[in-house]
Amino acid sequence: MLLACVATVVATCVLAPLVTRLLGRSAGWILSIPLLAAAAGLIVLGSGTQHVPWMPTLGIGFDLRLDGLSLTFMLLVLLIGAAVLTYSSRYFAVGRHTRYFTLMTAFAAAMTMLVLANDVVLLFVSWELTTLCSFLLIARSGAKARRPAIRTLLVTAMGGLSLLGAVTTMAVATGTTQLSEIIADPMWQEDTAVASTVIALLAIAAFTKSAQFPFQAWLPDSMVAITPVSAYLHAAAMVKAGIYLLLRFSPAFSEVPLWNTMLITSGLITALLGAVAALRRYDLKELLAYSTISQLGLLVAMIGVGTPEAIKAATVHTVAHALFKSALFLFVGVIDHRAGTRDIRALTHMRIRMPVTLGAITISAASMAGLPPLLGFVSKESMFTAFVDAPATPWGPITITVAAAVASALTFAYSARIVMGARGHDPDGREVTEVRPAVWAAPSLAALAGLVLGLMPFTLDPLISGAATAATGTTVEAHLALWHGFNLPLLISALVITTGVLLVLARKKIQPVLLTYRLPFSALDVVEAILAGLARTGRVVSGWSSSTAPRLHLAMPVIVTIGIGTVGVLGLSGLPAIDGNASRPLDWVLVVLLAAGVIAAMMVSTRVGAVVVVGVVGFAMTLWFMSLGAADVALTQLLVEILTVTVMVLLLRRLPTDFKPTPLRRTLPSLVIAVAAGLTTTLGVWALTGRRSMSSAAEYYLTEGEGVTGGANVVNTILVDFRALDTLGELSVLGVAGIVIATLLRSRRPASARRIEIDENSPLADALDNSVFTRTLARLVGPLIVILSVFLLLRGHQEPGGGFIAALVGGAGFALIYLMSPTDDVRRIRLPYLALIGAGIVIGAGTGLFGLTEGSFLAPLHTEILGYKLTSALVFDVGVYLAVIGIVLSAFNLLGLPHPHERDAAHGFDEGDDGDDPHADAPQTPDHQEVTA
Amino acid sequence: MTASMLPLFVAIPLAAAGALTILGRRPRVQAVAMLVVLASALAGAVALIVAFRDGGAWADAVGLWPFGIAIPFAADMFTALMLTFTLFVTIVCAGFAMASGRAASPFFSPLLLVMVAGVSGALLTADLFNMFVFIEVMLLPAYGLFVLAAPGSAPLRQIAGARLYVTVNLLTSTIFLTGVGFVYGTAGTVNLAELAGVAAEDDTVALAMAICIFALSIKAAAVPVHGWYVRAYPATSPAMTALFSALHAKVAIYAIYRLYAVVFDGEERFLWIGIAVVITGMVIGGLGALGENDSRTVLAFSTVSQIGYILLGVALFTGAGLAAGIFYLLHHIVAKTSLFLSVGAVEERYGTGTIGHVWGITKREPWIAAAFFVAALSLAGIPPFSGFVAKLSMIIAAIDAGQVLAVVVMLAVSLITLIAMLRIWNGVFWGRPPDQVLRTHEEKDLPVAGATPGDGTSVVLDTGTKPRIGVALAVPAVVLAMLTIALGLGAELLLGLSETAAAGLTDTSAYIEAVTNP
Amino acid sequence: MTLAITAGLLVMGAVYLLLKREMLRIVLGFVLLGHAANLVIMAAGGASRRDAPFGAPDDLSTVADPLPQAFVLTAIVIAFAITILMLVLAVTGRDQDDDTTVESDVDEEGRS
Repeated sequence: MLLACVATVVATCVLAPLVTRLLGRSAGWILSIPLLAAAAGLIVLGSGTQHVPWMPTLGIGFDLRLDGLSLTFMLLVLLIGAAVLTYSSRYFAVGRHTRYFTLMTAFAAAMTMLVLANDVVLLFVSWELTTLCSFLLIARSGAKARRPAIRTLLVTAMGGLSLLGAVTTMAVATGTTQLSEIIADPMWQEDTAVASTVIALLAIAAFTKSAQFPFQAWLPDSMVAITPVSAYLHAAAMVKAGIYLLLRFSPAFSEVPLWNTMLITSGLITALLGAVAALRRYDLKELLAYSTISQLGLLVAMIGVGTPEAIKAATVHTVAHALFKSALFLFVGVIDHRAGTRDIRALTHMRIRMPVTLGAITISAASMAGLPPLLGFVSKESMFTAFVDAPATPWGPITITVAAAVASALTFAYSARIVMGARGHDPDGREVTEVRPAVWAAPSLAALAGLVLGLMPFTLDPLISGAATAATGTTVEAHLALWHGFNLPLLISALVITTGVLLVLARKKIQPVLLTYRLPFSALDVVEAILAGLARTGRVVSGWSSSTAPRLHLAMPVIVTIGIGTVGVLGLSGLPAIDGNASRPLDWVLVVLLAAGVIAAMMVSTRVGAVVVVGVVGFAMTLWFMSLGAADVALTQLLVEILTVTVMVLLLRRLPTDFKPTPLRRTLPSLVIAVAAGLTTTLGVWALTGRRSMSSAAEYYLTEGEGVTGGANVVNTILVDFRALDTLGELSVLGVAGIVIATLLRSRRPASARRIEIDENSPLADALDNSVFTRTLARLVGPLIVILSVFLLLRGHQEPGGGFIAALVGGAGFALIYLMSPTDDVRRIRLPYLALIGAGIVIGAGTGLFGLTEGSFLAPLHTEILGYKLTSALVFDVGVYLAVIGIVLSAFNLLGLPHPHERDAAHGFDEGDDGDDPHADAPQTPDHQEVTA
Repeated sequence: MTASMLPLFVAIPLAAAGALTILGRRPRVQAVAMLVVLASALAGAVALIVAFRDGGAWADAVGLWPFGIAIPFAADMFTALMLTFTLFVTIVCAGFAMASGRAASPFFSPLLLVMVAGVSGALLTADLFNMFVFIEVMLLPAYGLFVLAAPGSAPLRQIAGARLYVTVNLLTSTIFLTGVGFVYGTAGTVNLAELAGVAAEDDTVALAMAICIFALSIKAAAVPVHGWYVRAYPATSPAMTALFSALHAKVAIYAIYRLYAVVFDGEERFLWIGIAVVITGMVIGGLGALGENDSRTVLAFSTVSQIGYILLGVALFTGAGLAAGIFYLLHHIVAKTSLFLSVGAVEERYGTGTIGHVWGITKREPWIAAAFFVAALSLAGIPPFSGFVAKLSMIIAAIDAGQVLAVVVMLAVSLITLIAMLRIWNGVFWGRPPDQVLRTHEEKDLPVAGATPGDGTSVVLDTGTKPRIGVALAVPAVVLAMLTIALGLGAELLLGLSETAAAGLTDTSAYIEAVTNP
Repeated sequence: MTLAITAGLLVMGAVYLLLKREMLRIVLGFVLLGHAANLVIMAAGGASRRDAPFGAPDDLSTVADPLPQAFVLTAIVIAFAITILMLVLAVTGRDQDDDTTVESDVDEEGRS
């Protein structure tokens, strides 16, 4: 049943788009029906709980509970919601207003869940949903509303985060997310630290939502929203969510001094500030906004006092406020609508003939001012009754009562301003006439209710008793009455009214004083200043890494690695002994050779020089690998070095010859980092290697390897048998690198080659002549290299060789063939490198897939073809071979050849003969797409 | 599905990539083949989730070699979830790339498939060196996809970004490789099952592993090595920014979770380092996002912050923390990709994503605007979207572990994230109010920080003259935005799965047992 | 110790070059860095045993660990592929390969 009520409200919001599509603005009438039905259902139900599983993993349920407190708030939400919706159906111009009605009903649904939630997480979720609805509804009001909408969102979202902090803390501290269990938990009286944290967080959340000091600024700011929104969200319902929250948790915390202090202080300050500010406003809506702040302040103070009397007063005042404030807002909207302004100064120059509107405004304002026989009077009397009996600590009852009385007197004064301001009595002014009953009917009901309930306050007794019982945790019997007899509260009321009347009479004198009075800062400016400050900090933070230059981004990882390495190694204790003698005398020769190479690489200032020096270091590495017993590695290193240098040479002509000199201030830090990195590496290698005996895997390879694979070259068997998966990945990497190069050169043309000035008379001038030697050599060596590479491929399993080495040798052969060519405008090698790459990958992966027949991917297979023992490993190696040849060819083909735009048309080179030319479909015009400054 | 089929996640995409390379320029066939392969892989991944719904793990000793020799491919719930989400998002991003016309190259499909193979391999492998290899397999195609552009049209920014992207990744890989070397030097093995718990007992192995994990945190854009990520990612095409953000950093995070759980056995001594790093990351990433003007750079910065949240799970190393972290990881894949794709759709059609240069398109592009809005709120952790559940469960876990500072920072930074998202919302979707438009015309000589090259010519675009985004380009972002709603409202399903996945990390015995006795 | 010193030297040179502006120097830095990483892996197998691993040797105490050699082979080839790729990236910028050109170009394009 409870769920059905919630579902009804949620369904309203789901159906709203459809209804508005059908009925346009009149949808308001239809949409208010389910809200009324839900309200009726809740009244009938009276109380109850319901559990629907939601996130059991986190112990979170869609738990609902209806008690006196939630019933009171539900009635406010649903009835005022219905009133606002019907009002809207004629307030708007003809049209659909789909988003408006959807958001308003969504808000009603969110409030319903918030108030009925018996799970703190559900409560939080609904809380945030109301914030979102508020944001979207404010933002609808055009460009001028965006900034306020964002500010409102940020302030309320901050409160939301505070609530989230409270919710999670409570959930963890009590081990449940059930609201009723959390409140009943005895720990709040025992663990003051946790209780204080939760209280502070809850209070902040409530203060932001209910616009309490110091978070009050967003409420007037949000008045850019259209009137029905202001009336519903920012006067009657959403701002009451904070009040609800405080009332809800009051049973747990009302005895904790921090709770009393925070609430009373903030509430009274807000009440006074808001009331003073309201007196200074000329815009009726703004005036109402400040009055809302002020009234909510009184409510918060009442909750802060926390006695049953105070809670009772708070609930009565909540009802009274919802009634008079929503009516006031809606009727101010009516005036605004008809008069085109809501500025008091402008309105006085008009002749406003709106009896219903003015009557309702007067009744409501009187209720707000606390005049008998209205509900506002009853609630204010209850408030003073509670305040004079407030517990002595931490605030004396006198202080509280005086502050509340002053606020009430000011309330009287600004209530009077509303009535007088809205009246507009200039007989020569523009005539403003009444709206149709369809618009005023619903809000009049709210205003009238304030009168009727004031005359018969006892009708509220059951509701208030239930609410107060729920909000105090003890049974409270409410007996509301208009006449309490002659007592202190009545005296205070009389004083308040007298002062109020005096204030109104003296308004001409007070107004100028008030207008000169200003807070030294505006709270909105504070929000904006915080935002600006955050943006400034943000720019500083993002500025730390603002460059796209690799330098900075490469330095950071190096520096951190140095830190980890140094701290790590120095922190190690009890390192195992070094295993065997790791250094040989001959090694030192290599060390010196490498040191020379490295230092030269650091010093060299030309590009060619750098390439040569690094090449030399590479060859020294070959020697190192040989000395370490790694023949295959050494061979691979050598071939890779040759090919890399060749490619570099191809590219050098597209780059300037010299490096730009680097200033010392830049070199020095680099040098320090470099030396530190080097030392850390040495330290790491010393500490972390060579301190254990041979690994069990290594022993397995060396003892079992040949037997199980049939290959004597252990390294090769690891590559193509034991760890063939690594090799499959590696050949994919190689193949893809070829594709990437093609992609890159297709996406952007390379820098053009430098022109090389060669003396016409020099023997070097004629390319054809001086390449005779290499061409002859290549003609002889070429086929030999191909045969050699195939031979290496086949023997790889037994002797140094294998797919990589073989293909690299083959690649070197192609490099030779390429370099021997006298001119660079002809493609020497017309093999389809992309197809080779593709074939390599397919063969590699395909061989592995065949292994599945044996039970696993890449399981080795053995067959005999024509007496030759063929293993899947060999086929796999062919895949490797093809992929490597593919990338080598792609590098030479794509880089060696001049780009189409560099080609001299006179050569008549026929392009477009194949599909892989990187610029085959590029625009061939010289200026193609390149934007120059 | 059986354990021996695990390598198919790698083998089939690879073989298909090879075949499509040979096939060459047949875009339709390529696209269809690619989508079929990706979809069947996704089906396989979902089957794995079903298989592991009650926990457990599978492993395949690739090539049937004995334990310690063979490279093991292993999967449990965590792996299955990651495979599912990465594959799904890959399909979505591929759809976006095709719709935006960036996938016209004959190389697109092969590169994407190899990348998927690399991602899957890196997720599945239980061997450190093999992980290095598959990370390379994942990265190499990414380099190609990074520079992919219409022929001859890649702007210099893209190349500069690619240089940064390639060099940092290579440095990172080299650091990782060195770390793997040290692991072999100290422990004598690179097999995860053999390494199980070793780092908790042997400090030398812990140091070697620390280097590996640090290298992975560079890839994951953890602070202080996040700068490259923020600069490089937005320099490529929108589709690829989205894709890389969804896959690469996430694979690294997965690996960090896995390695810390298995090799360190969740050792508590080192957790404070993680806590310090992630808290700094949240703050720096959040603030940095406020300092940028390019939408994608803002989003990249916020990733830095979100990665702090995600890694907090492993830094807490409690059951609740790990589960929250895994949920957060998966949520972030969905939400952040949606954001990149919605902003990307704007960028593809209107030519720029710089805040304040496009405006007022909420009316013209309601779907994209809604997708962005939903995903942005989800990212900021606002209910009822998946980001809220992620944040909530992480906060609960952190409070439970007594990490109050982390909780405070998490809460504060989510507000900052909201501000950052609202900046994009306000500056791209809402746009400026008319009076500010005039002012910008006057200011247009001033350089705009973070402005993308080429858009300086007209500071304010006349959005009315541009073609609309269109259904094909909008669908990817919208689908993911809907997913973030679904994962928020129906969070229980994924929460349960994340809990199962986390249980596999707090108690790694099933995983280790599977690898040891496949 | 000799391996440790060599690796340290290589890293020193590598890092120094990585922090330069020109892409070519950065690439060369990576070549050196790759060498260093490979030496670390070789060292991880233990540099005291250096006989080439062929067949099924009787005395394991002097034979080098074959696994690091396989690792290094794989690493060298992967590094080779990326090196070539980076070299191509070096020539696809403007006419220069240093980062300052890139950045100033971005500015120019941004303002044009």
